[in-house]
Amino acid sequence: MPPGDLAIWFFIFAELLAFGIFFVAYAFARAHNVELFNESQQHLNIASGAINTLVLITSSYFVVRAVAAIKQNFSRECARWIAAAIGMGGIFLAIKLFELYAKFSAGISLSTNTFYMFYLSLTIFHFMHVILGMVILTAVMLKARSGGYSAKLHTGVETGASYWHMVDMLWIILFPLVYVIH
Amino acid sequence: MQYKSQAVAKPYFIAAIGLFVGQILFGLIMGYQYVVGDFLFPAIPFNVARMVHTNLLIVWTLFAFMGAGYYLIPEEAETELFSPKLAIIMFWIFLVAGALTIVGYLAVPYATLARMTGNDILATMGREFLEQPLPTKVGIVIVALAFLFNISLTVLKGRKTSISLVLLLGLWGLAVFFLFSFYNPSNLVLDKYFWWWTVHLWVEGVWELILGAMLAFVLIKITGVDREVIEKWLYVIIAMTLITGIIGTGHHYFWIGAPEYWQWFGSVFSALEPIPFFMMTVFAFNMVNRRRREHPNKAATLWALGTGVMSFLGAGVWGFMHTLAPVNFYTHGTQITAAHGHMAFFGAYAMVNLTMISYAMPMLRGRSANSRSAQTLEMWSFWLMTVSMVFITLFLTAAGILQIWLQRMGSNPMSFMDTQDQVMLFYWLREIAGLVFFVGLVLYIWSFFYKKGEAHIAA
Amino acid sequence: MEITHKPHFIRPCTLVWLTLMSLTVTTYAIGEANLGGWAIMLTVLGTAVIKVQMVSSYFMGLRRTRRLWRGIVLGWLLLVAGLITIAYLSTIK
Repeated sequence: MPPGDLAIWFFIFAELLAFGIFFVAYAFARAHNVELFNESQQHLNIASGAINTLVLITSSYFVVRAVAAIKQNFSRECARWIAAAIGMGGIFLAIKLFELYAKFSAGISLSTNTFYMFYLSLTIFHFMHVILGMVILTAVMLKARSGGYSAKLHTGVETGASYWHMVDMLWIILFPLVYVIH
Repeated sequence: MQYKSQAVAKPYFIAAIGLFVGQILFGLIMGYQYVVGDFLFPAIPFNVARMVHTNLLIVWTLFAFMGAGYYLIPEEAETELFSPKLAIIMFWIFLVAGALTIVGYLAVPYATLARMTGNDILATMGREFLEQPLPTKVGIVIVALAFLFNISLTVLKGRKTSISLVLLLGLWGLAVFFLFSFYNPSNLVLDKYFWWWTVHLWVEGVWELILGAMLAFVLIKITGVDREVIEKWLYVIIAMTLITGIIGTGHHYFWIGAPEYWQWFGSVFSALEPIPFFMMTVFAFNMVNRRRREHPNKAATLWALGTGVMSFLGAGVWGFMHTLAPVNFYTHGTQITAAHGHMAFFGAYAMVNLTMISYAMPMLRGRSANSRSAQTLEMWSFWLMTVSMVFITLFLTAAGILQIWLQRMGSNPMSFMDTQDQVMLFYWLREIAGLVFFVGLVLYIWSFFYKKGEAHIAA
Repeated sequence: MEITHKPHFIRPCTLVWLTLMSLTVTTYAIGEANLGGWAIMLTVLGTAVIKVQMVSSYFMGLRRTRRLWRGIVLGWLLLVAGLITIAYLSTIK
């Protein structure tokens, strides 16, 4: 069995499928319109995308430490690692908001062109997953803090962790695909 | 039946089945008009028959949903209904309003009906599925709000379970999205855009929550599987439903003048809509396999499993077939749509209602299940209705494929009416399958009156 | 309270974390240098594939589970990356 609740894995696979279709659709839409995509890509802020990758990877690592902590029966330590991961999630959202704000104030919208349609939909769709992941992690953190998990019983922690790693994984593909490769 | 007030569900279920019979009769009339165009003309023209067929479907489904709510909520909340009297008053208001509406459709021309019912005060009529006159629409809102008030207060004073929360969410969503039926902008694109907020967000959004909650309730009762297990599945399923269904609205925005990005959104998200239905099937079979008791009502178990399979096939597979924008470019508004509509509506909503009625009606009549021979009859009705619906769907699909080929592809496309002549054979076959369906429905009703054999006495 | 030892997966995960960080910096450098072409494209995409595989094997811990679960994620990854590659290479004449 994979770590965490089996139900979350159905959910994770469905999410992977959804993003997978979107990634592939992006690649083929680009193939029909290479110049437009290459040109529009020049206006993206690669630094902010890269920093966000580092932020998410680090928060994923914090979640690994949280799982390790609960396996040693350290509830408080587990809750602290999760809190740190949620904090990193918050930083991700803040950076992303600055980036999107810059784009929207430049008058860019879903209808600007096909590239921006994909850029905005993919990043905003992923953005919402970060929020959902943070909600799940918060629920896990609160339960961990009140001693709801133990070295023996901690499926909930692994469930939250698995979902959060998935959010990280998707960004690891999204960043090079949309920001870097041309 | 554990709580006295659950009894108010009974008239709702009876009315639902009565209206279902009406729906099928008008379906048969229309099916015959497909092949003999002037049948019953001018008494019941095709457009009127179609309106009655679809409106009855909506109304009987609403009756059954409300009945399910009244039956299920007291048992889940472990308390009597807040006001059984209000439930009965609303039943009669809804039934009379529904009956008057249908009489109005049949007795006077639609334009006259519109003038008589104040459509010039607030124009809401004339749009597919939302043809109801203004007073009926207002009546639906009042009845729905009184119903929601009643069951919400019941839940508030009693135990709060995931099933009742999901059901409430679905029913509140149903009421809220119906409000868009009062919004009728003169811009045709906007009109269509928001029309789908009622139509699509009902059947591919909040109604699925109601479906999930009803199915979960029946499965808990007949399998005895732990509530936690069933609730976990329910949450994952409804999360998937909402994510895919809400943005999946885009598959209706391909060609109505909405922005182009909807072709991507609609294609991608609605391609995922089969997943929650697939999970529902796996869920139903999984729970029945892990059952911890042998419930005497085998027929209800069969209906519950059937709902899973048929909703997946009808809504999931047949929906997916024509949901991608490049495919939909050709299939839009053909008999493929009709095929999908029939199997999806039957498989998801008609069947979950029949499941609920099959489970609850014996309980309401003071026994845990009907006699074995009555159940055998009911299982016959299950197979007759289900198999004939599969055939209706297959015939319409064949008609649709031929129609697309002749009318929309090739260098010399035929006109619409010439194409109709070419697919006549499938319409004949569809009508025959429809008659078999009707026999199945009659058997379903008969099984409740079948006296032979010992009924199972409620524990 | 029972005494438990520090789980043995922390150390490899720390190494994985550091590797992921440095690979990200590499990708960023390529992006800032505005490099293009099929070799660069394959390098960057290949890096992403390796990174995802590391997250799923080590962070998610799928390497300790049955082949089925690893297989689903890896299969998804290779399929998506493969199709992206095809789409990109199809534009090079």
